Amino acid sequence: MGKRLLSSLILTAAMSALAHAADMKVIHVMHQGDPAGVAAIGAVAKAFEAENPDVNVETIYAPHDAYNEKFSAAVMAKQLPDVMELDAPFLANYVWSGYLQPIKPLIDKDVLDDMTDSNIVQGTYPVDKDLYAIGLTDSTVVLYGNRKYLEAIGARIPKSVDDAWTREEFEGYLEQLSKLDGVKWPIDTFRGYGIKTEWITYAYGPILQSAGCDLIDRTTWKSAGTLDSEACVDAMTMMQKWVKNGWVVPQSAGTNQFYAEGHPAALALGGHWFYAEAAASMKDDIVVMPLPKFGAKGASPNGTWIWAVTETSEHPDVAGKFVSFMLKDREYRKFVASKSGYPGLKSFAAESPLYASGGAMAIAYEQASKTAIARPPYPAYPTITSAFMQAVDEAFNGGDPKAALTTAAEKIDEDIEDNDGYPPFGDQQ
Amino acid sequence: MSDIALSISRPNEKPVRSAAGALHTIQTVCILIVALVIVSPLFLLVVASLKDDRFQILADMGSFRAFWVSNPTLNNFKEVGHFSGELAFGRYLFNSLLILSITVCSGVIVNSMAGFVLAWGSVKGRATILSIVIALYVIPQESIIMPLVIMVSRAGMTDTFAVQIVPWIASPLYIFLFYQFFAQLPKELLEAAQMDGASIFRIYRSIFMPLSLPAVATVSILTGIETWNQYLWPILVTQTDYARPIAVAIATFFGQDSIYWDRAMAASVLMMIPILGLYLAFQRWFVSSFVGSAVKG
Amino acid sequence: MNMQQSTVPSLAKGKRQARNKSHRGRLFQEASMLAPAVVLLTLFLIVPFILSFWTAMTNQPLVPRPTPLRFIWFTNFVRIFQDDLFWTALWNVSRFAFWILPVQCGLAFATALLLHQKIPFRNLLRGMFFLPAITSMVVVCVIWGTLFQYPTGPFNQILGFVSAGYIQPIDWLGDPEWAMFSIVLLSAWQAYGFQMIVYLAGLQGIPDELYDAARIDGANAFQRFWHVTMPGLRPTHVFVLVITTIQAFKLYTQVAILTQGGPKSSTETVVHYMVRAGFEEQKMGYASAVSVILFVIVLIIALVQRQLLRRFDV
Repeated sequence: MGKRLLSSLILTAAMSALAHAADMKVIHVMHQGDPAGVAAIGAVAKAFEAENPDVNVETIYAPHDAYNEKFSAAVMAKQLPDVMELDAPFLANYVWSGYLQPIKPLIDKDVLDDMTDSNIVQGTYPVDKDLYAIGLTDSTVVLYGNRKYLEAIGARIPKSVDDAWTREEFEGYLEQLSKLDGVKWPIDTFRGYGIKTEWITYAYGPILQSAGCDLIDRTTWKSAGTLDSEACVDAMTMMQKWVKNGWVVPQSAGTNQFYAEGHPAALALGGHWFYAEAAASMKDDIVVMPLPKFGAKGASPNGTWIWAVTETSEHPDVAGKFVSFMLKDREYRKFVASKSGYPGLKSFAAESPLYASGGAMAIAYEQASKTAIARPPYPAYPTITSAFMQAVDEAFNGGDPKAALTTAAEKIDEDIEDNDGYPPFGDQQ
Repeated sequence: MSDIALSISRPNEKPVRSAAGALHTIQTVCILIVALVIVSPLFLLVVASLKDDRFQILADMGSFRAFWVSNPTLNNFKEVGHFSGELAFGRYLFNSLLILSITVCSGVIVNSMAGFVLAWGSVKGRATILSIVIALYVIPQESIIMPLVIMVSRAGMTDTFAVQIVPWIASPLYIFLFYQFFAQLPKELLEAAQMDGASIFRIYRSIFMPLSLPAVATVSILTGIETWNQYLWPILVTQTDYARPIAVAIATFFGQDSIYWDRAMAASVLMMIPILGLYLAFQRWFVSSFVGSAVKG
Repeated sequence: MNMQQSTVPSLAKGKRQARNKSHRGRLFQEASMLAPAVVLLTLFLIVPFILSFWTAMTNQPLVPRPTPLRFIWFTNFVRIFQDDLFWTALWNVSRFAFWILPVQCGLAFATALLLHQKIPFRNLLRGMFFLPAITSMVVVCVIWGTLFQYPTGPFNQILGFVSAGYIQPIDWLGDPEWAMFSIVLLSAWQAYGFQMIVYLAGLQGIPDELYDAARIDGANAFQRFWHVTMPGLRPTHVFVLVITTIQAFKLYTQVAILTQGGPKSSTETVVHYMVRAGFEEQKMGYASAVSVILFVIVLIIALVQRQLLRRFDV
């Protein structure tokens, strides 16, 4: 290695360090997303800079599967970004730990007034009932079906959330589909997303809730007796049976089996975002149905990646301005809509015919007001979701559901105990 | 340069020469085949990086098309070769190179100086220090990493280049390797230079170091490979593009819902190139000096 | 002559003074040459090492929390030993070690034996055989991630072809029965190169005279291999065995990238368990306790190695 090369390397590094200290208002924006999403946020940052020449927006990308860890690393280094995208169920933990500041005073009023109820819920910290984050979107999971296959077995196609399939219907159809020609797997539950991904808790949690139990008791904040209750064990055993019977697309087969060539998967328990890619390939063959009822009531997930301003931000006003700007930015909205984004702002809903009455995803929008249940807004959430993922991985691969859920419940309660019940949550009892 | 006993006969032995020759050819062919099989995954990598379509890459993997690309393109490299933005592998490569070069250079200097003093110095307590160094060798990086993360974050060192370099410069193993190498050099070298009134640093720099190219090569390659491949430490202490090394950046391909194999392959090829260069530059000395020193450590 | 003789004492005295001075200078130089290594090792190895014992006995969180820091004695260790997942992790790395020893060391030994002969292109071949060893584990994961594709990846196609369709495709990384074995395969491929070099060194260290003597005694090729090569390589075998075992206990990167410890915890390892506790669950104290246990395991292996080497009197 020549000396000259080495010194030029060092020089370049030094110069980029200098650029950091430029005499401008710098805001750091930490976010996740797929490559197209990363590009879209980059474009918003550029547009914002063009409108505010004294501001320099630095985007920090972190992949979403390790997002919480990356954020912790930033906290440790006392290098919190100014604006951060966060997954809604983690909000309680972040606010409890003191990382975020109330966002209402920082956001344009017209944007605040524009929020849907579910959007407000996902950004609100239950202790002080204040708003800490805001999003353009919310989210849900629906049951997609392949029209040809469903017609072939003569399945009843629900018209609204109220006449969703029952558990008996659903399992009966799975069985029938498994014997149908051309169907390799009756359903894709997107195990391909991995085993350590929020998808697990997000998508499978509502199945437990519909079956009549929960991840944790939301008044006593204790998991034992709830997550390992009869109803949860039964629901987990049911899901395990689907996998055992070979009804579910295996993890290694990827995430496109529903619309891949030959349409190997007949149903897909997929997020609203899946509609765009599936419909592009399947056109009218795709049927959107509400999630089945596994017990007395229906349940569906909500909550998505939303934007917050950190406590340590040196320019909270600029940070808030950036968030407002982004949520109103036309190009950004266009991008989100192209990904079949699920509206969290009323004005955005008006721009999304997909979700309007009569639209292809109308049922998805209907779920929000009828069956949506947020993941527990509780500071122990990181442990709750981590323990639950572990249990699902165990059960899906043949482990004993009861034992898996008991271990998870113990782990969760242990964490709560270690943190003295996360005051002031413990005090509410 | 001894033949090992397994070989049926030595080339210089007279009897059954032609049979031995045939055997020898067969042997050579076998070795070549084994070598090709061993290297074929790397060949696949290079071929796949020249294909433009990530689904095609997967589809081809199931057939002999995996070994062939009909219309090679550098598109993947163009896509990942940016210096800023989402796929800034140019930047990550630069980061890794910077970390690598500083770690290797300072590692060689710091460890060789220590090894030299431990071998030929006259400070009291050399033996104690040496035995402590040997004892420290037992501590695996993995078992100090947790407190170290807290230490460097308290010191505000996270997300810098320094945090990826400074903790790993001094190494008990390399100090010991240098110690061993220096200790086997003849004592007369030292005495002659001392007669001439050379200072101990001078002796180290102008007499012993120039003689220790094999040790320097070994330590450089080992430090280089180790630094280049660091994964656990940088994921814990970096979070932005600023100092993110290429290994961590490539791993993020696996965190996405759908893996962009085309880009991952191109980025992987980029990552292979520098370390291959380092290895080729030093390999001549590497193997010969590895002899013995590793086993007895 | 006389003059010289008379000046000797004073000269000697001056020399002694000069030597004293230069001796002090030399000590100072030596100390400053040692200092960087000593300071760095102290700061980044000894201090964190000692700290890990302290942290292991606290409830230290990853990031500051509103709850107070407490000294909790051995609670973390008790919890670790009560956690089934930890024992699974230990069992997994033991399985990994058990499988990778024959695969990796066998491959290393075999390639070293081949390369040790007089063959054309020996340097080129040695370079080829060493290529995987310089390949970063992350890159190895990219390559082998595609090789392991289910159901139509190369390995499954080859198996199907060789068995004429009799062997069903294997879900290499997604089947709890296979996942660890798949990790073994790619790890062995990546890491055998170093062991190969160590074996080559060991082979070169066996003196020619021993073979000649054996030949004179009428030993055939196999006998020479068994009675000369193998005993000569005994310390090498011990060394390779021990570093491979230690390597197994540190298994992390490939598992973190390809399987994240799953499926059904079949690839959960000690280090992965530690990182998860520290970062996913943010329990630094707990994670430090795991790291202390890891150290004790590695220490025991190293002590066993010493005993074995001593027995072979190396």
